[in-house]
Amino acid sequence: MTQAEIKLCSLLLQEHFGEIVEKIGVHLIRTGSQPLRVIAHDTGTSLDQVKKALCVLIQHNLVIYQVHKRGVVEYEAQCSRVLRMLRYPRYIYTAKTLYSDTGELIVEELLLNGKMTMSAVVKKVADRLTETMEDGKTMDYAEVSNTFVRLADTHFVQRCPFVPATENSDPGPPPPAPTLVINEKDMYLVPKLSLIGKGKRRRSSDEDATGEPKAKRPKHTADNKEPIPDDGIYWQANLDRFHQHFRDQGIVSAVANRMDQIFRSLPVGYNISKQVLDQYLTLLADDPLEFVGKSGDSGGGMYVINLHKALGSLATATLESVVQERFGSRCARIFRLVLQKKHLEQKQVEDFAMIPAKEAKDMLYKMLSENFISLQEIPKTPDHAPSRTFYLYTVNILSAARMLLHRCYKSIANLIERRQFETKENKRLLEKSQRVEAIIASMQATGAEEAQLQEIEEMITAPERQQLETLKRNVNKLDASEIQVDETIFLLESYIESTMKRQ
Amino acid sequence: MRFLATLRIIELCHQFPHGITDQVIQNEMPHIEAQQRAVAINRLLSMGQLDLLRSNTGLLYRIKDSQNAGPVSFFLSKMKGSDNQEKLVYQIIEDAGNKGIWSRDIRYKSNLPLTEINKILKNLESKKLIKAVKSVAASKKKVYMLYNLQPDRSVTGGAWYSDQDFESEFVEVLNQQCFKFLQSKAETARESKQNPMIQRNSSFASSHEVWKYICELGISKVELSMEDIETILNTLIYDGKVEMTIIAAKEGTVGSVDGHMKLYRAVNPIIPPTGLVRAPCGLCPVFDDCHEGGEISPSNCIYMTEWLEF
Repeated sequence: MTQAEIKLCSLLLQEHFGEIVEKIGVHLIRTGSQPLRVIAHDTGTSLDQVKKALCVLIQHNLVIYQVHKRGVVEYEAQCSRVLRMLRYPRYIYTAKTLYSDTGELIVEELLLNGKMTMSAVVKKVADRLTETMEDGKTMDYAEVSNTFVRLADTHFVQRCPFVPATENSDPGPPPPAPTLVINEKDMYLVPKLSLIGKGKRRRSSDEDATGEPKAKRPKHTADNKEPIPDDGIYWQANLDRFHQHFRDQGIVSAVANRMDQIFRSLPVGYNISKQVLDQYLTLLADDPLEFVGKSGDSGGGMYVINLHKALGSLATATLESVVQERFGSRCARIFRLVLQKKHLEQKQVEDFAMIPAKEAKDMLYKMLSENFISLQEIPKTPDHAPSRTFYLYTVNILSAARMLLHRCYKSIANLIERRQFETKENKRLLEKSQRVEAIIASMQATGAEEAQLQEIEEMITAPERQQLETLKRNVNKLDASEIQVDETIFLLESYIESTMKRQ
Repeated sequence: MRFLATLRIIELCHQFPHGITDQVIQNEMPHIEAQQRAVAINRLLSMGQLDLLRSNTGLLYRIKDSQNAGPVSFFLSKMKGSDNQEKLVYQIIEDAGNKGIWSRDIRYKSNLPLTEINKILKNLESKKLIKAVKSVAASKKKVYMLYNLQPDRSVTGGAWYSDQDFESEFVEVLNQQCFKFLQSKAETARESKQNPMIQRNSSFASSHEVWKYICELGISKVELSMEDIETILNTLIYDGKVEMTIIAAKEGTVGSVDGHMKLYRAVNPIIPPTGLVRAPCGLCPVFDDCHEGGEISPSNCIYMTEWLEF
């Protein structure tokens, strides 16, 4: 794990879970897998705290455990999984676009809590949705369950591995750590639950008729004592499925940009006439982008999407975009030229790109120093004399992608730090505004008059209000920027993964 | 005696315009010794009246073409007072054709010392027989060629160079014009809203079409060939604005070269500017020096401050 990645993980853990979890987490990332006592000893934290921190991390799938020989349990942190926390907003947004608000909240709850039972999720989401609805309306559990089932069917949520039921005749002591198993088939099997009920609104005691709340309360506590029907069956969000979806989206939008037409996303059916469809497919196959290839004529023509090529094109487009924004369009021209022709001499670069020799040289050296382009030496004589050697410029896409990825990690870490800095700078002001808001809220609850509310609000002066506005805007901007850089990370990581798999 | 011999040889050559061997001359004039024969032949060669050729049987002497002989005799009359060295140098330069030859190469070929070469070159230049042309590849190199020859493209750089200067503005203007033409073609094709195959095909333009358009625009003082236009279109491909396909075309269709045609089409980029470059860190020149607690850090980054105020 590179230094930049560790730094980013540290920031994320700290922001989401606090200091102690961060310390333990970063320690595990740095040192690999370690048993419990060693963690406690090395980090200097008490055993109790380490246990709690590990609980949190395991619950969120950030740490896994393994039983080694001699019964020692070792814990290992998954750095890449920690980095996925950056992408949570994107997962939630995708769920929203596909399954509307219900889906959005389900995925959000699952991500926030790591693992949950279905009934717990349904209950909580129903409650939340009810709160946002108009007075008098409630969210039915059945609707939420339906969405949950649909999410499971499309594999966006999956069951967590669980402890298999062991026979009681096992004589030995229980193993130090349970081994979790999950059957492929069972992963998306939704338990048959009959969840009946409606979401409960968090009502303040005097909004309803006075009789009701008191009557409701004993019944509510009685509800909690009933056993939850699906105890032990926990669900988690299936991140890989989301990644697949993002990848498909990326490819579709790339093709859409090229083809100037509106395409539906895969695998939803098209509703254009068959003839037009045929033509589109032929066009796609002929397009120089080479995303779609025709393999065989069974069923009127089999078309195949060349995923690796598609990811490669997206990655090179990313590289080109970075070169263009950083160094200018002439540099971008040279970069694309070397990309297409694979290896070129200095003179050839000048000729093809139609850029004066001096400028071309300058740009090539700049890109060379930033490691976008590399030099390949081909000696003419065995003594490698520089005057008798060919020097060819070439682009190694994999190493350039890795270099850019590393830069992305560091950039996001910078953005997060800046965001925290901005918040810290204005801490005093934020606390003040929070106090004022709390006062206003409580006063509204006790039925204060307009004039009094007005007075309290004026405690925050106009320039302070302006400052708060600016702060909010800046924090939002930094947040949005983090998500955008994460998109780049996703493209580059997908490409690198796909290339490594093929090797 | 020698004069007679040379006359006789010339007569023989006229008799046999395809060339005669030494054996033939010997047969004709058996009374002349081999040495005298050689001297006579050499004189004729140096005067430029005979050509020396090699065949699989041996050496052939052929009368020089009357056309060739023309300027040579004219040259001979001019060069009456010059020595053989100058003739040699002139011959070498003539052989180099319109690519010209570098002074060092002349030295290698003629084995004459540098000072002599320079003197001779100056002489020939003043007599307006040769001229020096600056090469565009290495601006210090001068190549020499015959006075009345047009220098070859590789020396002057072709249409893109005027007086050794690369005309980048000219190239830029052409670049933009070609792109606009292709773009408008793609626009009209898109708006026609016919079925996609036709739309795509009509958005293509062949290199010939683009060439005609540019010629008609008349923005170029120099005449441009279709290949020149293709090099410009290639730069558009490297800009990522245009894509090219090659289709097979029947010989004889307008614009086809060797049985295929190149078609060009304006395209959109496949992704918008990527996320990394929308953040200040993506474009930051001091990225590597930046770390928390240092002189340059995210907390005090001026680029971020400017960007946030935007």
